[in-house]
Amino acid sequence: MRKYAVIYRSVLMENLQYALNIAMSFISYFIFIFVFINLWNYIYSAPDSLIAGYTREQMIWYVMITEALWFGAPAGTVARQASSDIRSGNIAYLVNKPYHYTLYILARYTGGWSVQLPMFAVLAAAMGTAMVGPLPRFSPLHLLAAIPVVILGLTIDAVFRICISLISFWVEDANPFQWLYSKMMLLIGTIFPVEIFPAALQPVFRLTPIYTVCYGPAKLIVDFSADKYIEIILAQALYLGAAAALMLFLYGKGVRKLHVNGG
Amino acid sequence: MSTAVKHRIRNQLRVCLLAVKFNIMREMLNKVTFLTNVGFMVLNNASFIIQWIILFRLKEDIGGYSMADVMLLWGLAASTFGLSRIFFARAFSLPELIINGKLDAYLVQPKNVLLAVLTSSTNTSAIGDLLYGLLVLCIFCFSPGRLLLFLLFTVTGAVILTAFSLLLGSLSFWFVRADAFGSHMVNSTISFSTYPDGIFKGTARFLIYNLLPVGMAIYRPVHVMMRFDGRTFLAVLGYTVLLSAAAVFVFYRGLRRYSSSNLMEARM
Repeated sequence: MRKYAVIYRSVLMENLQYALNIAMSFISYFIFIFVFINLWNYIYSAPDSLIAGYTREQMIWYVMITEALWFGAPAGTVARQASSDIRSGNIAYLVNKPYHYTLYILARYTGGWSVQLPMFAVLAAAMGTAMVGPLPRFSPLHLLAAIPVVILGLTIDAVFRICISLISFWVEDANPFQWLYSKMMLLIGTIFPVEIFPAALQPVFRLTPIYTVCYGPAKLIVDFSADKYIEIILAQALYLGAAAALMLFLYGKGVRKLHVNGG
Repeated sequence: MSTAVKHRIRNQLRVCLLAVKFNIMREMLNKVTFLTNVGFMVLNNASFIIQWIILFRLKEDIGGYSMADVMLLWGLAASTFGLSRIFFARAFSLPELIINGKLDAYLVQPKNVLLAVLTSSTNTSAIGDLLYGLLVLCIFCFSPGRLLLFLLFTVTGAVILTAFSLLLGSLSFWFVRADAFGSHMVNSTISFSTYPDGIFKGTARFLIYNLLPVGMAIYRPVHVMMRFDGRTFLAVLGYTVLLSAAAVFVFYRGLRRYSSSNLMEARM
C-alpha cells in the first residue's frame, strides 16, 4: 500500500500548488446553487411547507451537499484518464509498472479531491449559511459521522467510473456510457433526494449506486438517524466489494485483449 | 460592396464550411463511435425531461412556463450550444492556444485568422445537441412559423455564445488566469439557460439580462417564439451583431500582443 500512499501524496502536493484555480472553480458551483436556490424558493410557496418530507432549507442544503461532492471531487479526471490511456495506447507503458493500474488511478483521484473537497465544503457551508440559513437540527457530530460515508461514497463512484472507462478495451470511446452514468447520478441522487420520486420507484433506486454515492452522505448530514447510518454503511461496504471485484475482473480481461504493436 | 470584396467573403465562408466538413469527416472515420457519441448525447439531454416531470408534479407552472414552454427553452438551449460547438468549437478552448503559443499555425495561413481558428475543431457530440433541440421542438411545440424562428434563433444564439466565449477567451492575451474565469462564465451561461427566467428575481435577473448573454441568446428568443414581438426580435438581431463586433475587435486587439512560443509540432 505504501506505493499508493506515495502516489496519493504527490498528487495532493501538486493540487496544493493550484489552490487559486480550485477556488475559481467555485464560481460554477456558486452559479449552479444560485439557480437552485431560486428554483426551490419559487416551488416552496409557503416557507414552512414540506415536499417529500423536506423543508425548504433541508432541500436546498441537500442539493448544496450533493453538488459540493460533485464539484469538489470532480470524477471527470478519473473517468477520462483510463479511457484516454487505453485509446492512446499509453496503457502499454503503464501495465508493466510496479503497481496495479486501476489502484494507481484511484490513488491519484483521491489525492485530487483531498484538497478540493474540504475547500468546497468550507465555501459551501459559508454560502449556505448566508443565503439559506442554518440547517435545522444540524449537529457537528452528525457531520463527523458522515465523513467515512462521504469517503466511501466517492470511492464507490470512482470505482464505477473506472469500470466504465475500462469498456474502452472493447469499444473505442466509453465517454457516452460515462455521460449516461453521470446523468443518472445527477438526476436521481444529486438534484433530488430519492423520496421525491414516485413511491413505486424508490425501492428500485435504493438498490442502485445512487443510494450509496450521493443520497446516503447528503441525507445523513441533512437529516441524521442511527438506523439510516448503519443501513447506508452496510450498503456501501457491499457496493464497494462488488464494484472493486468488477473493476479487477474487467481490467484482467481487458489487458489480455491488449495488442502492443511497438513503435 | 464591390465584386472583389463579395468574392473574398464568399471564399472565406467556403473555406470555413470545408474546414468544418473535414473536421466531421475526420470524426466519422470510426462510424460506430461517431454514431454512439451523437445518439448518447440525445439520450443524455432527454434524461433531463425526468427533472421537469418531477418539478411539474410539484407545481403547475414554474416561473410562468408550462412543460411545453420549458421543453422549447431546453430545445433552443441545446441546439444553440450544439451549433456553436459544431462550427466554432475552438472558441471554447481559445485560451489554451494563446497561453501555449499555438496560434502560429493560423497566422501563416492564407485565410482569415479568426475564422481559421474558430473552425479548426468540431465537437462530434454537439451534433446530438442540435438534433435534440430540433426533436424537442417537433414533439412538444411544433408550428411552421415557430420552426423558422427556432432555426433563426439557433443561429443567433450560437453566434452570441461563440462571441461571448471569444470575448472572454481573448482576455488571455492580457491576463493568464482569464482562461478559468472565462470558462466558468460560459458554463454559468449554460447553467442559467435551461431554467425559466421567471424564477429569477433581483440580482439574478439583472445578471441574466445584463452581464451574461443568456437573456438575448435564449430567454428573449423563447419569449418571441411564445408570443411574437417585433421589437424584441430586432433587439436580439442587433445584440448578436454588436456582441460579435465587440468580440472580433477584442480578439484582434489582443492578437497584437501575442507572442509565439516557437512551438514545433505536427498538425494532422
